[in-house]
Amino acid sequence: MSSWRSLVLRIGEKCPEYGGNVDFKDHLETCFGVVRRELEHSSDDILPFLLQCAKELPHKIPLYGTLVGLLNLENEEFVREVVEKTQTNLQDALFTGSCNKTRVLLRFLTVLMCSKVLQPSSLIVVFETLLSSAATTVDEDKGNPSWQARADFYITCILSCLPWGGAELVEQVPEEIDRVMVGIEAYMSIRSHVSDIGLSAFEDFNVNDKSGGEKDFLEDLWGRIQDLSSSGWKLESVPRPHLSFEPQLVGGKAHEFAPINCPEQPESPAAPSEISCGRQKYESELKYPQRIRRLNIFPASKLEVDIQPIDRFVVEEYLLDVLFFLNGCRKEGASYMVGLHVPFRYEYLMAETIFSQLLLLPQPPFRPLYYTLVIIDLCKALPGAFPTVVAGAVRALFDKIADLDMECRTRLILWFAHHLSNFQFIWPWEEWAFVLELPKWAPQRVFVQEVLEREIRLSYWEKIKQSIEDTPTLVELLPPKGLPNFRYTAEDGRDETEHSLSVELNGMVKGRLSSKEIMSWIDETVLPTHGLDVTLRVVIQTLLDIGSKSFTHLVTVLERYGQVISRLCNDQDKQVMLIAEVSCYWKNNTQMTAIAIDRMMSYRLISNLAIVRWVFSPSNVNQFHTSDRPWEILINAVSKTYNRITDLRKEISSIKNDVLSAEKASSKAREELESADSKLSLMDGEPVVGENPMKMKRLRTSAEKAKEEEASTRESLEAKEALLARAINENEVLFLALYTSFSTVLVEPLRDACIDGILQPSDKVDEMAIDTDDTSTMDLDMENGGSKKSHSNGRQSSDSYNVKENVQWCLSTLAYVKSITRQYASEIWPHVEKLDKEILTEDMHPLLRKAIYSGLRRPPTGL
Amino acid sequence: MASLFRDPNKISAYRDRRFPGDQEEFEQTLLKSTTVYVGNMSFYTTEEQAYELFSRAGEIKKITMGLDKNTKTPCGFCFVLYYSREDTEDAVKYISGTILDERPIRVDFDWGFQEGRQWGRGRSGGQVRDEYRTDYDPDILPKLFILAVFSGYGKLVQKELEAQRELVDYNAGSLGSFHPIMPLPHYGGRHERHERNQGYGGSQRHGRDFHHRKRYRDDDRREPEMSKRTSDHESRRNYDQDSRPEKNPRFRERGDSDEDEEGDHRRRRP
Repeated sequence: MSSWRSLVLRIGEKCPEYGGNVDFKDHLETCFGVVRRELEHSSDDILPFLLQCAKELPHKIPLYGTLVGLLNLENEEFVREVVEKTQTNLQDALFTGSCNKTRVLLRFLTVLMCSKVLQPSSLIVVFETLLSSAATTVDEDKGNPSWQARADFYITCILSCLPWGGAELVEQVPEEIDRVMVGIEAYMSIRSHVSDIGLSAFEDFNVNDKSGGEKDFLEDLWGRIQDLSSSGWKLESVPRPHLSFEPQLVGGKAHEFAPINCPEQPESPAAPSEISCGRQKYESELKYPQRIRRLNIFPASKLEVDIQPIDRFVVEEYLLDVLFFLNGCRKEGASYMVGLHVPFRYEYLMAETIFSQLLLLPQPPFRPLYYTLVIIDLCKALPGAFPTVVAGAVRALFDKIADLDMECRTRLILWFAHHLSNFQFIWPWEEWAFVLELPKWAPQRVFVQEVLEREIRLSYWEKIKQSIEDTPTLVELLPPKGLPNFRYTAEDGRDETEHSLSVELNGMVKGRLSSKEIMSWIDETVLPTHGLDVTLRVVIQTLLDIGSKSFTHLVTVLERYGQVISRLCNDQDKQVMLIAEVSCYWKNNTQMTAIAIDRMMSYRLISNLAIVRWVFSPSNVNQFHTSDRPWEILINAVSKTYNRITDLRKEISSIKNDVLSAEKASSKAREELESADSKLSLMDGEPVVGENPMKMKRLRTSAEKAKEEEASTRESLEAKEALLARAINENEVLFLALYTSFSTVLVEPLRDACIDGILQPSDKVDEMAIDTDDTSTMDLDMENGGSKKSHSNGRQSSDSYNVKENVQWCLSTLAYVKSITRQYASEIWPHVEKLDKEILTEDMHPLLRKAIYSGLRRPPTGL
Repeated sequence: MASLFRDPNKISAYRDRRFPGDQEEFEQTLLKSTTVYVGNMSFYTTEEQAYELFSRAGEIKKITMGLDKNTKTPCGFCFVLYYSREDTEDAVKYISGTILDERPIRVDFDWGFQEGRQWGRGRSGGQVRDEYRTDYDPDILPKLFILAVFSGYGKLVQKELEAQRELVDYNAGSLGSFHPIMPLPHYGGRHERHERNQGYGGSQRHGRDFHHRKRYRDDDRREPEMSKRTSDHESRRNYDQDSRPEKNPRFRERGDSDEDEEGDHRRRRP
């Protein structure tokens, strides 16, 4: 890396390039001195690199802006290009809907204005363009309010610039900026409040839209900006390096900034209806998602002590930008995050920001795994401070786990187990020993149990047992050691016939008999004599046992003898029996159960519908509130179906490109042939139509080949499209089945658990009627429509949990309805009409309807 | 995303000698591959443990354990095959350098598993990269990275760190020459627990069970960082064979071929 590069890249950092000091003025002078000299020879390299640095390290934008301002004094032409390039980039970002790029480029423009490279009025014009587009969107008559998400985003962009240049704008163009502010105020009054429903990490099922009183993201930002304005636009978190160079910078030429355009308003639906508008609104929120949803897990005293509200916003911007742009660069990302140049501590804010991303609904910008890594790296970077803060976050979330959204809860479990696996599984478990005194369905207890389960999967049983040895009672929450539960072991004396059949089958597999031979053995010897139940049990148990040693063994057995299984389990009923047998064989090992079912679905030995049916069988339904086991399997099946659709869509779009290029190649070859054909050439002195035969032949062949190629790509496109249509149809059927099943299992429990349409969390009368050892009767109770017994337990120290079992069952199940719906909402929306007709009928319980509606982010109807 | 800090010319530091093609073709293959190579694993890590970790980057199609060509037992590497390229990239980006089964693993793009590649190619039958351990990204090595990481951070943080350093016992000195993988987390707060800081002592307290031996085995592997690498490899191999007949409840014996199955079968259920 030549030195101008590293100086530009590292500006503002404590690094060897700058001799270890962190004086911004020195840095700018040094950097400017070197870049100025290089400008003559390398301006073609410097321009894109400088812009890239500004774009990807936006927390250092003020430095890059000032650098450009200084260069403007040396080389106006270069800076004119910087401005032009920025204009095209911004225009491009707006049209492609690249949110982060748009926001960062606008910030860059703002600092260019501060450094006198741009007229303040040019920036105002940009703001007004965005503002007017936003205002049009939310206008009922002229616009399309379903796309408010985009309008809100534009306004957010304007407001986000003000911490970086509000002071300059007010000083230099007070009337214009005032006009913009008035415009935003007007916008705020016509837009609708954005309800968090369905996307909030904490939600109480019984409360209807609680967000009425709370500010949404834009309202909150607007409030922070108004505070900033009333404090004279002074804030601590944004450096103002241009001030040190003000006397020089004023001499620079202010450049023109060509006007930008916002993309057209998306068309309103042709036939506006609740569904069509809801669909558009959903789509717009997917394209212009809210960047952060604050978790508020730490007390304000830890978060915003001594800082202004706007500083919190700015630090969040810094952190989110680093997370976004430096994803995949571990070292740099962590070092920028811990080394922000702000004069206050922000480790709590940093933790809350990262957790709010990890738990962001419906989706974080990156996989949860990424945030796991970030947290690990920050714990390593700040071993004294960060682990404590992380632990604080875990405790805060644990305290509120009963209200935590199910999707968030699952992410939290996976993250926490993974995190601990990177830190030797050390955790003060004794703090949570009290969960043992809670009933089996208490969310805190389930949380601890599932974290331990996931820890074991990443490690091994003995190791995890050892990690909780200071709190030996917790062993009760460990799953069994994950050994297989083979029915026909040597010691087992029962079922002698089955046992010997199993031995026989095992011998055949070892003797490498083919599927065909085994199938005829089954058809001729086993089925007729022993019947389906025994045959299925023997075959599945034996094959699973042969494949029990590892994932690969399982795959090998299924690849070799899948046919045997598919022949034997040739309809849905038998597939459900097959799944039950898998679950029985691996009853001590949830992971292997899930893997085996997943693989069998991969080989199409079982359908997703069979899995749904099995998950909703009574023995699973009974553990909906006490274990994640059935849910993991259900969610795997749904996500596998969904993955297939995504893969096909990707393949189709790539084949579409192939078709285009094949078309081009084919028409080119045809043209060449035609033009050669029509040419007259001399052969042996005689004029002949067409070029020489050899060349003609070659052209003809290649034209034919290209045509064939085109036809075959088209064919494969059609084939894939047919597959996609089938997959989408399968998906529709799957969701109908899923909602029907939910609806069926929920009917009675909801009716029994609800009083006045509300799930009564606790039964105050029963509070003292402790009935601890009665969980064994629960199965029966559940099947009868929910237990009336209270298992409330007043002994534990933390805030007492006394939700009745049947109520918790309803809460957990509804929470999964919502979370599964939300996760696949984009695939469910196309089928909403059908759902409305077949599932969401008037007699559906309002709480179930609410769960589905909020998962879809669909505004509640009058029903 | 950000390309500022990535060297686009370096998709993998490791060049497989068996790849049938030149460097450019090799890199092209890596750019499209949906297979990752996972190295520096514990010999005891099972496919299922790898599955749990690697499925967090996406749906897994296949896992192939690397086996010692002499003993036919896992020897510290595996291949994970994904369905999609994006998932493969995420596995490399986010899993490399993290801990699996108490060891920092390394994850790289791979040009694709082919029959025969499951056998270790090291001189002694094990993992070949083991013999080139200096190749490793210093980040994932159990070095005293703490000091290195801190130089360069903001003043405030630095000060804060110095104050905090007292609280965390990074080195848990009792284990002598071997350096911990990472600083022990300090979860102070509601219940301040100083005895936590002994951390590594956890396994020491179980002097007699096999985990203790396992730890020692691991320790043996880390310790000779600075000593001769081949002898390190030999010693761990010997050690590993010594420990093989021991009953290890979480390690399911596996020979990769069907011929072995009968034997394994009996061994697992005596």
